Amino acid sequence: MHEASSADPATPALEIRRLSFGYAKASPVLSGFDLSLERGEVVAVLGDSGCGKTTLLRLVGGLERPGDGTICIDGRLVADARVCMPAERRSIGYVFQDLALFPHLSVIRNVTFGMRGTPRRSRRTEAEHLLASLGLEGMSERMPGTLSGGQQQRVAVARALASRPRLILLDEPFSAIDTRQRERTRELVIGRLRIAGVATLLVTHNQDEADTLADRIVRIGDRDTSHATSPQHSSIADPARAGPVTGNEPRM
Amino acid sequence: MTLGRSRAGHTRWIIASATVSLLVIVPVAVVLANLARDSGGVWEHLAETRLAEYVGNTIFLGIAVTTIATIIGVATAWLLTACRFPGCGVLTWAQLLPLAVPGYIAAYAMTDLLQFAGPVQTALRSWTGWAGGEYWFPAVRSLPGATVILAMSLYPYVFFAARASFLTLPTSVLEAGRTLGRGSLGTFLSVAMPLAGPAIAASSLLVVMETVADFGTADYCAVDTLATGIYRTWLGLDSIVGAAQLSSLLLMGVLVLIVAESVARGRRRFHQTAARDAKSHRRHLRGFAGIGALAACALPVLLGFALPAGRLLWLAVSSWDPADAERLLGHGRNTVALAGISSVLAVSLAVIVVFTKRLHVGRLPRAIAVACRMGYAIPGPVIAIGLLLALGWIDHRINDASRWLRPDSALPGLLLTGSVTALLIGYQTRFLAVALAVIDTGMLRINRKLDDAARGLGARPGNMLARIHAPLLRASLFAAGLLVFVDVVKELPATLMLRPFNVDTLAVHVYQLASDERLDSAAPAALAIVVVGVLPAIVLHRLLARPVHGQARSRPEQPDA
Repeated sequence: MHEASSADPATPALEIRRLSFGYAKASPVLSGFDLSLERGEVVAVLGDSGCGKTTLLRLVGGLERPGDGTICIDGRLVADARVCMPAERRSIGYVFQDLALFPHLSVIRNVTFGMRGTPRRSRRTEAEHLLASLGLEGMSERMPGTLSGGQQQRVAVARALASRPRLILLDEPFSAIDTRQRERTRELVIGRLRIAGVATLLVTHNQDEADTLADRIVRIGDRDTSHATSPQHSSIADPARAGPVTGNEPRM
Repeated sequence: MTLGRSRAGHTRWIIASATVSLLVIVPVAVVLANLARDSGGVWEHLAETRLAEYVGNTIFLGIAVTTIATIIGVATAWLLTACRFPGCGVLTWAQLLPLAVPGYIAAYAMTDLLQFAGPVQTALRSWTGWAGGEYWFPAVRSLPGATVILAMSLYPYVFFAARASFLTLPTSVLEAGRTLGRGSLGTFLSVAMPLAGPAIAASSLLVVMETVADFGTADYCAVDTLATGIYRTWLGLDSIVGAAQLSSLLLMGVLVLIVAESVARGRRRFHQTAARDAKSHRRHLRGFAGIGALAACALPVLLGFALPAGRLLWLAVSSWDPADAERLLGHGRNTVALAGISSVLAVSLAVIVVFTKRLHVGRLPRAIAVACRMGYAIPGPVIAIGLLLALGWIDHRINDASRWLRPDSALPGLLLTGSVTALLIGYQTRFLAVALAVIDTGMLRINRKLDDAARGLGARPGNMLARIHAPLLRASLFAAGLLVFVDVVKELPATLMLRPFNVDTLAVHVYQLASDERLDSAAPAALAIVVVGVLPAIVLHRLLARPVHGQARSRPEQPDA
């Protein structure tokens, strides 16, 4: 149902060019943002709260329309200033900051919710496998409300992966989990994402989290960058860890 | 539980509270007790002739009205919660306006509008050149007519409940549905509907109860239901026992609905896994989609409020006769007096019941509150029959006693059933539940620590009620009083059957004129009822407009019943 592996491997999984967005024209949340993700790459976008990290994910996920710029997934244009492919057709796995598990559905039914491309017979087995690989054996019939924060988080990841998306978006994925569980949850989740080999864009305000999880870190400026008085505030990826920098270049 | 220690001081509150519950328990018990009594052949006669029709029409109306009302209520609530389109702001509060027009008044106005000599058909004939009998036109005074009229006046109950629960759905949960490949409709059906399900089911059951309790609409549309049958058996066949037996049949149906409703309410409330986003991400509907949504949300308001109210206004202005003013004013005074006394009484009695429940944590005070809540589900004609039997018995015993004590003096006569006392009691039986629901919800918002603090400072229960709870409950007490006031103004069958001969209210006045086909003379009084009815629509709108956080916080402590 998706052609993540069939397309030319040189095509980036996600390519964002000169992306701008603002609820009010005077104070844009994002302005001229560029970013590119290779296949299977895990990129962390790091920045303080309110700097437009979540907005970036919402734009890629199809939950907001960009003001300007283009977003391509697997080389295919999904949004620019005029066209905007609806969220339900983008085949993206989105893990929301508050997880947004369906409270009325059991764990297994949450996971199979989006598996429309999988034949009906094998949906359950496949979902069970996925849950097991995330350390959630025997949890299938539980209701989300009865799980711990870390377990809920992994269910949300399983649900996002189940529809075999072309791209995974993680919004502050481990912020709601208590410190004791965080380490293990992180390991399980990132291990699973690596196995899936799916390009992952995660946003976080936690430097440590970005360091441990990502292949590459992109810093998104605090709000002031759009008023860019000092250019050094703009995007600087960590040169020690990252390859070529494709951060945002604030434009006024 | 901390208050449970000093039980002794609570006894008088529990006794008072139990006495209040007799208002509901006695008429119900009396009606049911008549089930096995000999009705002098009336029951057999009914069973052979009309009973099947009564039951069939009642069930048909219950199902058809509820289906239509639920579809309209849910659809409008979803469109007005999840989407943005031209006029959606105005239409959101306008959805509550149909509540202002009782079914029987809508039936009168729509009949006048759509009858053969009415403006719509006259215009149709002059445009097309058709003569009478050459075309088909829907009749308001029919079973389908009554169905549509009732659905249009009751769907706001579903709208109210559905919108309140859609508003508490976290945006991200709906967006998760979309990122997982379901479109807007798919997300609505697979996520929003199941989550709002229990609330919608409870409100639909309320619509069924209102429908089977309806007297005025069915009566005017010549649809014979159990409710109209009770009235006819009592008045036409002069058989109160036969009427009581029909009443117990209706009552048993209602009791089944009450059980179903408590099951729907009690069903697992889903643990919210996410908080609602402060920003709303409502979908913009443009072009035809926007116009379609506008039409879908405007049509029920048009049919349920604008057309009937507009027609009444036109009739009232065009056929205004100053000679009627005197009489209208008299009926208005009666109505306001009855409604005013009833609302003060209902609020006071409800405070006793609610406060007892809070004071004394235990099964009995809760059971009393549940019993009082039931009154609202009992149809007006059933309450009237129950009270006529019960109070009539007391009246006769008073006369017996007087005959025995003072054989020479005149008998006191029908002290209760012959005066407004019976009517005032009947209003309490039916509408105490309204005051109770509002005040109970308000009381749950008051932190129990305040009670403990007040007791710790030496306040006795009554003192605490007056100094702590009453001031904090001011808004709830006002809202409760207002809702009871409006319900009394609109109430037709109980008033019709329990009023003394010389007391007419606006509702009875309208009913009598409409029965004589004098719709234009009925218009001013009908319009007055509608104007009064707009008040709770405003109150409900205010309640809906309250921040969601307050609702969410009060959730785990929902009032019982």
